[in-house]
Amino acid sequence: MKDLGIVISYTIKDMLKKKTFLISNLIILLFIIVGFNIPNILDAFNSEDESSVPTVSKVLVVDSQNVYENKLSKLNHMNLGYTFEIVKEQTYEEIKQKIEEGEIEEALVISKQGANIKIEYIVEEMMMLTGIPENYSNALSNLYKEVQLSKIGITEEQISAIEPNFEIEVKQTSSEEVKGNVFVIMLLSLVLFYAIYFCAYQVSSSITTEKTSKIMETLVTSTKPRTIVLGKTIGIGIVGFIQVAVIVIVALICAKYSLPEGILESVLDLSQITPTLGILTVVYFILGYATFALLYALTGSTVSKPEDVQSANGPVAIVAVIGFYLSYFTMMNPTSDLNVFASIFPFSSPFCMPFRIMMGIATPSQIAISIVVLVVTILVVANISIKIYSNAILNYGSRVSIKDMIKMYKNKDDSNG
Amino acid sequence: MKYKNHGIYGLLGTNGAGKTTTLRMILGILKKDSGQISWNGKEVQRKHVNFGYLPEERGVYPKTKIHDQLMYFARLKGMKKANAEENLLYWAKKLEVEQYLQMTPEKLSKGNQQKIQFITAIIHDPELLVLDEPFSGLDPVNTELLKNVIIELVKKGTYIIMSSHQMFSIEEFASDVLILNKGKTVLQGNLKQIKETYAANKLSLSTKQNVEDLIKQVGLEIYHSKDNEYIINITGEEQGYKLFDELAKAHVKVEKFEIMKPSLHDIFIEKVGE
Repeated sequence: MKDLGIVISYTIKDMLKKKTFLISNLIILLFIIVGFNIPNILDAFNSEDESSVPTVSKVLVVDSQNVYENKLSKLNHMNLGYTFEIVKEQTYEEIKQKIEEGEIEEALVISKQGANIKIEYIVEEMMMLTGIPENYSNALSNLYKEVQLSKIGITEEQISAIEPNFEIEVKQTSSEEVKGNVFVIMLLSLVLFYAIYFCAYQVSSSITTEKTSKIMETLVTSTKPRTIVLGKTIGIGIVGFIQVAVIVIVALICAKYSLPEGILESVLDLSQITPTLGILTVVYFILGYATFALLYALTGSTVSKPEDVQSANGPVAIVAVIGFYLSYFTMMNPTSDLNVFASIFPFSSPFCMPFRIMMGIATPSQIAISIVVLVVTILVVANISIKIYSNAILNYGSRVSIKDMIKMYKNKDDSNG
Repeated sequence: MKYKNHGIYGLLGTNGAGKTTTLRMILGILKKDSGQISWNGKEVQRKHVNFGYLPEERGVYPKTKIHDQLMYFARLKGMKKANAEENLLYWAKKLEVEQYLQMTPEKLSKGNQQKIQFITAIIHDPELLVLDEPFSGLDPVNTELLKNVIIELVKKGTYIIMSSHQMFSIEEFASDVLILNKGKTVLQGNLKQIKETYAANKLSLSTKQNVEDLIKQVGLEIYHSKDNEYIINITGEEQGYKLFDELAKAHVKVEKFEIMKPSLHDIFIEKVGE
């Protein structure tokens, strides 16, 4: 027990002292802070450029043939976000000059050509525009209808009476109600997957480093293999957890203080984030981490040359990716049976269940079953990993094959202590 | 094999004879096929073992401060912080690596790394110390340093098992030896007693003048000669004394005359080299 504490504290100190660890974390935090502040940064640039320009842009409307019969001023009451200046006559050159001087932003020139109404839309730069914006064309077409209808004696009241006023409400027949934006939740699931996966991966690289630097023999004569595996897993887990927690807290602070108000609420229903969800997410993070970290301890101990690490870790990476995609794609249809399976299957549940809880569709019994399944998996994986680790660590040279591993596991000698 | 009195027990063998495997079994980190290994009458098990071990595979944490990694191993071996610190400094001074303690090993030479690893093996004052090829890769100065430390440990009462295929180091230190060949013991026992069972087989002679003809007259075969120094094959001490009489009769000025028992090297070759 005392040795376990020593291994844990050494692992933690060793990780924290690494320059690469500190630098990569600083870069991540910097990206988060800059990322959340992009709207503010852009605002700062824009306000400098346009300090003299009125906040509501002006649009010039030229109707020389009086197509709209003096009704165009109504555009100003339609809440289109622009002020419309209506004139009878203006040449293209004059319009061009006004736009260049910044007096107006754009102009609409209306004329009649036979049965058609022609609209010239004049802007400074075309950029991504492919045609006249929809709100202009809708407003202009509605206004034109109004003008023509009033000509044949239909009053404004009669027109508004035949305009339908839709009130749309969506209802589902299934009793399960899904809360929240599925795509945002899928994104969060991706973040959780990476957090778990990269923390666990560190265990493998830490063990292989010990093997490749040939320190292993000194280490196993100093303490028990079980202490090394568990101490490493716990130590790296603590560092990883603190790392993720710091990143999440910084991100939340940035989101609260830097993002324009309402943006966070528009993608995430904050009422879904409850203390229970927080605690359960932490539980799933820890259990998910333990599962993959112990698998990585196993593969990490079977190699002795750095160039073999990638291929030895392959199977674990595949299991993790299958688990992740199982949860990720079934999340598009969260009420499906497959998503329920993904929330219980131990290699996908850590990335899946927290979000089912968040969406309010996980039953307490499903949560309990999935936690029990995860804990049992961890115990089984730990048992196998420690056994193979203690037999494989002194194996130098070629990689340990699966056949060797089975032999090592069956080895009843208590040398793994 | 048995190891009764403290001192150095030499384990010899050709490459691949099973020296490292035997040592690992003694340390309890490798499962044994058969037989029994006990220490103070108790079967050796990994969980009880607190021996010191310098593996043949040299290794240190390349990027961890030397002081920190030495403390880590000392603490894992059950030492209190203050004690560990004290021992660490003592041995670092002895092995002249004191100035490197705050550095990382990747900046050190191989020999210095090896000395660091040696401290790892002895920092907790182990009762039994297992050294796998301790001198390989060290220069003469560092070999001397290490020898002095080993002698100090023996004086303190440490039991040391040392494997090597460098005969001179075993011959110099070990009182008991065991020679392995292809996993089987071919010879074991007290080195001096073993040597006594062997008849003298060489004669070393150094004279002021050339005595080649005289040696041939006596009927002896010269194994090697250089500048009036001769190594002569003999089959027993008597042959040597007979030559000495002849030299005296001829009034040859003798600078050196030594009847030699076979060296450990010769014994080793005889036992394992077919």
